Amino acid sequence: MKVDAAVKRETRYIAYACAILSVFMQAVFVLLKKWDYTVVLGNLLSYAAAVLNFYMMGLTVQKAVSMEATDAKKLMRSSQTLRNAGMFVVIVIGVVAPCFQIAAVIVPVFFPRIAVSFRPLIKDKKEVIEK
Amino acid sequence: MEIAISIILGCCALGAGFAMIAGIGPGIGEGNAVAKACEAIGRQPECKGDVTTTMLMGCAIAETTGLYALVIAILLLFVTPGMFIDILMNTLG
Repeated sequence: MKVDAAVKRETRYIAYACAILSVFMQAVFVLLKKWDYTVVLGNLLSYAAAVLNFYMMGLTVQKAVSMEATDAKKLMRSSQTLRNAGMFVVIVIGVVAPCFQIAAVIVPVFFPRIAVSFRPLIKDKKEVIEK
Repeated sequence: MEIAISIILGCCALGAGFAMIAGIGPGIGEGNAVAKACEAIGRQPECKGDVTTTMLMGCAIAETTGLYALVIAILLLFVTPGMFIDILMNTLG
């Protein structure tokens, strides 16, 4: 299956934005003097899971928009359930395993949401520059 | 003491179950959004790229609600019982 340009572009944006937010989070841990290797490991685990979750969602959306409406609905629901199950496994590993810091595992899961909030600002700037 | 610990564990499990009710919403919402996107693309096939981009962002926002619920449920199952049991032990000595 060929990956759509929109999916690639948005996943790249989410990956970059999450990386920047991860650096901010690491800086906060350093400032609080609670930084150690568990924070880095937790952040890496959660970052990978969040970006992969977004990419899988993108692939599902790409597949769903070329289907009938009812089939698309079913596909999206089943995909959401599967992705949620995957995230459950990742977060449980992060919370239970002692080599991961709990906060560093949980916080990056929400980075894509923050990145999406800033997306219109970046888009508007680009449009203004293009004009 | 055993009864108190059982109540704590039971309440945490119940809370986690209730929290996961919020996980139902995003699935239904994303499904409806994609169905409408399919209809829109059917009417205007040239807008497929724009619709897909908007859909992705919308789905990411909808997905977060489910993730909030998931995180709360995991914390209630794996972190909170230990904390409450520690508090109980310290209180009773």
